[in-house]
Amino acid sequence: MLRMPVMVVLCLVIGACSRQPVIDEGMMRFEGPMPADLSGSWERNYVRDDEVSGVLNQLYYQLARTSPDQRYSGNAGMPTLSQDDMNSVLALARLAELITRPHVLTISQNEHEISIEREDDFAILCAFYDGVAKGTESDYGTEICGWDGEQLVSNLVLAEGLQITHRFTVSEDGTQLRAVTTVSSSTSRVPFTLRRFYTKFERLPPTFNCIETLSMKRVCSTGELVP
Amino acid sequence: MLLPLVAILLTIVPLKHGAAELLPSGADPILMDNVSALNISIAVFDPGVPEDQSLHRDLQVFPRIREIEAMFLPFVLRETLVETNQWGAVRVVPEADVAVELLVTGEILRSDGEILELEINAVDASGRVWLDKVFGGVVTDNYAERDNESGVSAYQKLYDEIADDLRIARDQLDQKTLTNVVEISLLRYAIQLAPSAFGDYLSRSADGTFTVHSLPARNDPMLDRIQRIRHTEYVITDTVDSKYQMLHAEIASVYDLWREYRRKFIEYQVEDVRRAQTPSSAPRGSYEAIKNLYDIYKWDRITAQAQDSWAVAFNNEVGPKVDAMETRVAELEGWVDQQYVDWHRLLEELFEVETGLDRQ
Repeated sequence: MLRMPVMVVLCLVIGACSRQPVIDEGMMRFEGPMPADLSGSWERNYVRDDEVSGVLNQLYYQLARTSPDQRYSGNAGMPTLSQDDMNSVLALARLAELITRPHVLTISQNEHEISIEREDDFAILCAFYDGVAKGTESDYGTEICGWDGEQLVSNLVLAEGLQITHRFTVSEDGTQLRAVTTVSSSTSRVPFTLRRFYTKFERLPPTFNCIETLSMKRVCSTGELVP
Repeated sequence: MLLPLVAILLTIVPLKHGAAELLPSGADPILMDNVSALNISIAVFDPGVPEDQSLHRDLQVFPRIREIEAMFLPFVLRETLVETNQWGAVRVVPEADVAVELLVTGEILRSDGEILELEINAVDASGRVWLDKVFGGVVTDNYAERDNESGVSAYQKLYDEIADDLRIARDQLDQKTLTNVVEISLLRYAIQLAPSAFGDYLSRSADGTFTVHSLPARNDPMLDRIQRIRHTEYVITDTVDSKYQMLHAEIASVYDLWREYRRKFIEYQVEDVRRAQTPSSAPRGSYEAIKNLYDIYKWDRITAQAQDSWAVAFNNEVGPKVDAMETRVAELEGWVDQQYVDWHRLLEELFEVETGLDRQ
């Protein structure tokens, strides 16, 4: 009997949370230098990473418990999930896994910009001028960053309500990086969140010194090559 | 230091093309014979880079490349004007000099590989405005189709238009007016160096134009010295102009490549729009559908970010040549600036000695 009011409250809370912007006005501004230094080369620490299947199972269970159309299987107390719910969450999970697949992140940072380069994907670019975030807008999506304390937040809004948020946090000693990626869509009742962990490493000096040119493409030398 | 200066002032310096001729002494006070072709100085363009750094990405402006274009593009205009055979000496100069016969300045409003927009301003020594107009050009052929042919600018039509407009403006002036421009140019130069001797010959009206009140005698010794100094300066100006010529020769092909890359980027953007407008057949909310949305954005960003790589590659290739040229030009200009100080001092002293008048 109490289940219905609880569900209504829960839905209202979820609804209210989903309408809050990921990056609010306060997060788009800061004073002084960048709150954290994320620069460096970072490689995946697979031991600490979330297991996609584990997160998925937890989400299925949560969805089943809050489903407005609850049905129970033959096992008493085990809620089931509609096929639509499962498909929508699975789609988000697959996309989150794809996006967080890169083994290495290369982050460069200066007073205005933070660039997070990823293999086989575009670089996440966070720009701040005079302490104010400057987003990127195109015909296909809007990307903007902000600081939540010392946590860098990047939010990408695409068409049809698809939204991808990355939260980057560096450990105090600067050797560990945590990236929390959340994918949400208007077609799914809940977002999918995956945590990835990275360890800082020093790249070995290259055997050849190379620079890119336009007419000769990459030019390399065993000696010093000054552009 | 003093001996070379005195030598310059007392000897005749061989003339480069387009310099004003020394006149025989004892002639009438008209400074110049009828002048058929004005000398033109084209100042390095204003790169047109917004001061607000946050706008650079949105406007696709690469500041260092714009600075290089600002040095490179004036030389293309120079070549176009020279080929018309309508003018005297045409030179590219690092900074605007208001004492030149005809000064052309410009600002790069847009340069994205497909479209080039220049705001061109031309003012003669008397302050008359010949041109104040925006010229736009669209590239007509691409680098590959021209088989890497150098010397033919993809924006030739734009430069031809500028040259035509300058010629039309000049043809509207009679010979007397053109001669007057040359005279004022020399007098303004003289006033910079020896204001005490020449300050009374010109006046400036409220609209900024100059009027000649009187002219010095053709055999005026001070004027003679001014002309010798100017000829010496022309030697330096021609040397600087040759540096821009060398820069053009060295980087023209790479610049063409850069322009071609930028043009391809615009083509890719058009293709991206077409691809994005093609609806996905996958069910809404499915993995294929949301991946398609992500991929459209991803490839658009990858293409846009590739421009940064091209800009770095361009700078890697031409940067050292440009830096070397800028250093040499700065050395030459620095020498001239120092000479100006010495020439000014010496001429004022000479005027005082020769006329017995105290310097103002």
